[in-house]
Amino acid sequence: MIEVAMLAIGVLVVALTLGVPLPYCFGAALAVMYFIGDVTMKGMMLWGVQQLSNPILLAIPLFVLAGTIMSESGIAASLLRFVNAFIGHVRGGLGVVAAVSCAIIGAISGSGLTGIAAIGPLLIPEMVERGYPREYATALIANSSILGLLIPPSVTMILYGWVTDTSIAACFLATLGPGLLIMLSFSVVNLWMSRKFPLILDEKPSPRELAGEVSRRGLVAIPALLLPVIILGGIYGGIVTPTEAAAIAVIYSIPVGFLVYKGLKLPNFLAAGKEAATAVGTIMVMILFSMILSQMFVYESIPQKMVSAIFSVTENKILLLIFINILLFLVGMVVNDATAIILIAPLLLPLMTAIDISPVQFAAIMGVNTAMGGVTPPYASILYLGARVGNVKVTKVIPPAMFLILTGYVPVVFLTSFWPDLSLFLPRLFGY
Amino acid sequence: MNRFVSILLTGLICVVAAGQFVQVITRYVLELPVMGLEETMIYPTVWLYILGSANASRENSHIRANVLEIFIKTEKGHTLLAIVGEVISLAVGIWLLTWAWDFTRYAWRVWRESPTLYFPTFYFDVALVIGLALMMVFTAGHLVAHIRTLRTGVAR
Amino acid sequence: AETFKMSHVRPQGATIDVELRAYAAAVDAATNGNVKIEIFPASALGDYTTVQERVSVGAVDMATQPAAAAVDRRMQIASFPYLAGNWEEAKSIYGPGGAVRETMVELFAKQDITVLAAYPVYFGGISLNVDNPQAGSTEPNGIKVRVPGIKSFQLTGEALGYIPAPIPFAEAFTAVQTGVVDGVIGSGAEGYYASFRDVTKTYIPANTHFEVWFMIASNESLSNLSDDDRAAMMEKAVEFETTRWGVAEADQARNEQKLVDELGTKVIALTDAEIAGMAKKARAEVWPVVLEDIGKEWGQAILDKVGAGN
Ligand code: NA
Ligand code: NA
Repeated sequence: MIEVAMLAIGVLVVALTLGVPLPYCFGAALAVMYFIGDVTMKGMMLWGVQQLSNPILLAIPLFVLAGTIMSESGIAASLLRFVNAFIGHVRGGLGVVAAVSCAIIGAISGSGLTGIAAIGPLLIPEMVERGYPREYATALIANSSILGLLIPPSVTMILYGWVTDTSIAACFLATLGPGLLIMLSFSVVNLWMSRKFPLILDEKPSPRELAGEVSRRGLVAIPALLLPVIILGGIYGGIVTPTEAAAIAVIYSIPVGFLVYKGLKLPNFLAAGKEAATAVGTIMVMILFSMILSQMFVYESIPQKMVSAIFSVTENKILLLIFINILLFLVGMVVNDATAIILIAPLLLPLMTAIDISPVQFAAIMGVNTAMGGVTPPYASILYLGARVGNVKVTKVIPPAMFLILTGYVPVVFLTSFWPDLSLFLPRLFGY
Repeated sequence: MNRFVSILLTGLICVVAAGQFVQVITRYVLELPVMGLEETMIYPTVWLYILGSANASRENSHIRANVLEIFIKTEKGHTLLAIVGEVISLAVGIWLLTWAWDFTRYAWRVWRESPTLYFPTFYFDVALVIGLALMMVFTAGHLVAHIRTLRTGVAR
Repeated sequence: AETFKMSHVRPQGATIDVELRAYAAAVDAATNGNVKIEIFPASALGDYTTVQERVSVGAVDMATQPAAAAVDRRMQIASFPYLAGNWEEAKSIYGPGGAVRETMVELFAKQDITVLAAYPVYFGGISLNVDNPQAGSTEPNGIKVRVPGIKSFQLTGEALGYIPAPIPFAEAFTAVQTGVVDGVIGSGAEGYYASFRDVTKTYIPANTHFEVWFMIASNESLSNLSDDDRAAMMEKAVEFETTRWGVAEADQARNEQKLVDELGTKVIALTDAEIAGMAKKARAEVWPVVLEDIGKEWGQAILDKVGAGN
């Protein structure tokens, strides 16, 4: 049976490569399981629909909508200006602004696309004007945009918690440490890279000017800065569940976008709603069929068979972790984050338990790897969106993006695997 | 059409957000239990997902991993690849549609009800077959357009 | 040989898991290896509502779990609050020949499902992450508790003085831990130990309802077996149930003690009068509403047979 499962995954990858939309790629894999593996489809649609109606998933459209509203309303712009007031004048400072702003936006949006969509159009032209190469600026912001998936809230962690039955609040905290570390490493790598760029810098402001500018822009940014406080404070302060926090984020950002920052008007609000619903629709129907595929695997005990197959090769924890990271890197190259989580997490969780990796640390391992998949070609949705926003050829963005991934991202991926405290410290602190 | 879709989808997502918000207010501020609110929210939620997906088919914006496209240089090659993709989508989608139909007939027969208000779940179960059918119609439309492009040699 | 897939709702290694594996081994031996039962713990095949429907259409062969009322709301009769007052009554109501048991067998049959055994689990209680100084009273106490999205539990919570909040099960643990709610109603000592381990500071054994699961099998799957094999499966199921009735009460006491010993939970001893007071209030407030839903005459006839509520 494990051969049929492998064949199904093979067909899935071939269909993906041909450019078939994801839901049908999973459908093709289901057909392999059904026609060749003789696994029943009876009752599977029922199972899939009941999975979709789980209220936990509701957080996904809401966090995506909150992010879309953010980029439309001018909330993001005010955050950007605020962060810029601190370090914009430092050599290489604008690159740091990119990483930090994407992290702050990550604390509002659950998706990896919001950063590049909201910050990219504002910051890329600015960085180019100041002497950064366009492809570098684009690569940096696209890479930082991934932080949306690592700084809570996060769509992938909601999915991980859901498919593995792990506390979503704990999963959120698990990727926070690695996320902040990645923000830091991008900032450092950027400062080092910036030495070579012919940058035009503002005059260094006096401390008094700096304080004045920071407080003025800070005042404007307060309604925007309150949003992460409401979301995370609400969840960890014991007021709301993650799903409810997502709803509050939407309800809060609508009047703030319409009345305070005024970037939100009826036409772009409707466009934002449609865009979020469509994005979520594509994810959810894909989830429906991938959950059925995953259920067929469970039905045939594929996860257990896989664990024993892998264990027959080695039981060495370090080798296995390296193997899993390579596997996840390869998976991330060809499928999107949500797909990778739904397919791989249930398959590998038994293996993780067997080598004493806690589900919460595994959340972080899956989280950083699948997020990185958003910028690793050939399937790199976040990088491609970046190329569109930054108005550069994809082939030009790939080299600087790869450089940032290798120097800034990959080290953190390995730290996440081999230094449990990085991901477990915060969840432990909150008692998970 | 576009405006109608925008209003419908935005409306659905806002209803969902408002429902969750009311849940918080009644529990945290008013300390009153509202029974059955979460089960009524399932209706707009499932329709939101399914119609969102149908709209993605309409706009041809479903997630694809166009890996091969990068290596194909000619317009004609791209069109041929798109045709292959749509044909696979149609074949697989229609097979899935038959199972969605099977499920719909089951849902009609057993007529399940939600746990506290006894709303028939059929009204969201039926979304699947309708959504998949719409997706097939739009996919067939794209296929026809690609074939036309191939015959006339004019890019859309 | 036929392989039957059986779902249950507890993690691997839990009491039910061990008992079902023993059952599977007994069936294997009794059918000379003709019937293998493969156990899927921890709702791996879906939550019990879904699984029951999948058993009904023959997509899953067997399950041991609570009865789900989505397809037939009358199945709520099995989880009526305060229907049984003690273990003896419970056995006469839910055990072989009992009024509720016979009714459930009929209702399951309408869904093409055969009941092989009933599995008495526990009397339900209330788990709180806070103190409740007036645990025995039914006066409003302002404590928010998570209840499953099932009407009788929500009403019972309210009748006992709590503020019920329907929160999805998957979010329930975090909700208690962060303080969105202060506790949980709808399970018992064993269930709280399994799913709410670190947030059960106080346990109130209020006997809210009698938790009974059913070992069910798809008629379609059963029809693939020879008469002898089917008879052997049934016979082993009867033994399985008999054994369970013998140990269930002690098992419940052991689980309550486990809360005290391992988690430092304060288990509050209620007096008979206090439990009687709760039962009276819940019966008066919950029963009429749920009876109205499931059909007054139909339901009342069963309650009369049980002889409860007098
Ligand atoms: Na985020
Ligand atoms: Na990728």
